[in-house]
Amino acid sequence: MRVTNLLKMENEPLIIRRAVDGDERALRALWTRHAPHIDMVVRRLVGGDVDAAADIAQEVWIQIFRALPSYRGDSQFSTWAHRIAVNRTLNALRRTRRLASVETEVHEDSAAVEPDHDRSFVAESIEAAAAKLSPGARAVFMLHDVEGYTHEEIADALGITTGGSKSQLFKARAKLRSLLAHLVDVKHVGLSRKDTEHVAPAY
Amino acid sequence: MSHLPTERLAALVDEAPTAAELAHLTSCPECARERAAYQAVADLAGTEANRIGTPLTTWEALAPSLVADGVIDDGRGLRLRTRSAKRPWLQAAAAVLLLSGGVVAGRWSVRTTTPATTSTVAEKPDSLPTFSTVQDARDAQARAQSMYQTATAYLAQQDTSGRAIESPSAMRARLAALDRARDAMGEALNEAPYDPVINNYYLSTIGQREATMRRLNTVLPASMKMTSY
Repeated sequence: MRVTNLLKMENEPLIIRRAVDGDERALRALWTRHAPHIDMVVRRLVGGDVDAAADIAQEVWIQIFRALPSYRGDSQFSTWAHRIAVNRTLNALRRTRRLASVETEVHEDSAAVEPDHDRSFVAESIEAAAAKLSPGARAVFMLHDVEGYTHEEIADALGITTGGSKSQLFKARAKLRSLLAHLVDVKHVGLSRKDTEHVAPAY
Repeated sequence: MSHLPTERLAALVDEAPTAAELAHLTSCPECARERAAYQAVADLAGTEANRIGTPLTTWEALAPSLVADGVIDDGRGLRLRTRSAKRPWLQAAAAVLLLSGGVVAGRWSVRTTTPATTSTVAEKPDSLPTFSTVQDARDAQARAQSMYQTATAYLAQQDTSGRAIESPSAMRARLAALDRARDAMGEALNEAPYDPVINNYYLSTIGQREATMRRLNTVLPASMKMTSY
């Protein structure tokens, strides 16, 4: 029997109920089960600074457990906790000025992209490559392409415009495309079926 | 038409090309390759969402903050609850069962450890404490529970004496037994969901089970991670 299935079989609503009552073992059971995913969300948004990520992850878990009495079970606990992790991490980054003035980073990034430098760095993964992005661009990329947020949600979370969010995303993808060239370069391509069915109007 | 700009190629991951762009992509292998590369970046990002990693946090670092916050009930009345306060006899029974269960589990997990290494807090049977108030008993219960959990965590990390005996097959057998105990307690909880004794047993079982799984992973070869047992 696979371990992941066994974990899913545990009675999570019961564990949550005991955790709300302050039972340390129940709280620990929730942390043990969800920390590998939640902490990863924090790590992705923060980037390469592991110490900062660890501090923020600690804040995230305290916030999750403080808010636990407000969890109504309308969504999966993992989804609920994930949302707290994203919001808390963005707040922490904003507090430490890492996300300050994301809009101005749009312009700064244009000059900051250094193709020659990018070529000398070979990233082994999206996480490693994204650590090379500016905090604002990384946050937008992670929220949109990894976490599945819309530009409207990102704009709301980061206090920027949807246009700013799109611009950051495209710049982030461009830099990542360069950093991950060894993983994403393809030799032969054709048009996708989607293209032949849907063509945008000229603009 | 000249090559598509970099940012436009990046945008085409989730936007449809115009007719002119489509015509260019059809005739320009270089732009078509670039567009495919951007799509590959987005695909990589999509797989990233499901990736998990080693936690950045540790329970040992988190727990003191949660106690200070009153999130963890440390038995000192920070989060007194009406339901449990109304049933002191159940709490007393839970304390007895938890302590006796802890002794059994402790001897099970450290059966080869010599008494000399574990007796720093041992007391003679005739020196067992007596309690004059319910609060005294609760405090003692909390201390014993905390000490047991800390000792178990320490032994799981440091005690190598029992590992020769605790073979992977023995631990798999333990896991199977813990699964049965968990299932039985889970059924009992359907009938008595608020019973603290059953709740304690259920959570203890889950805790032991997770500790055993972690330990089983440490005794397997580094290249082999447990996905089944």
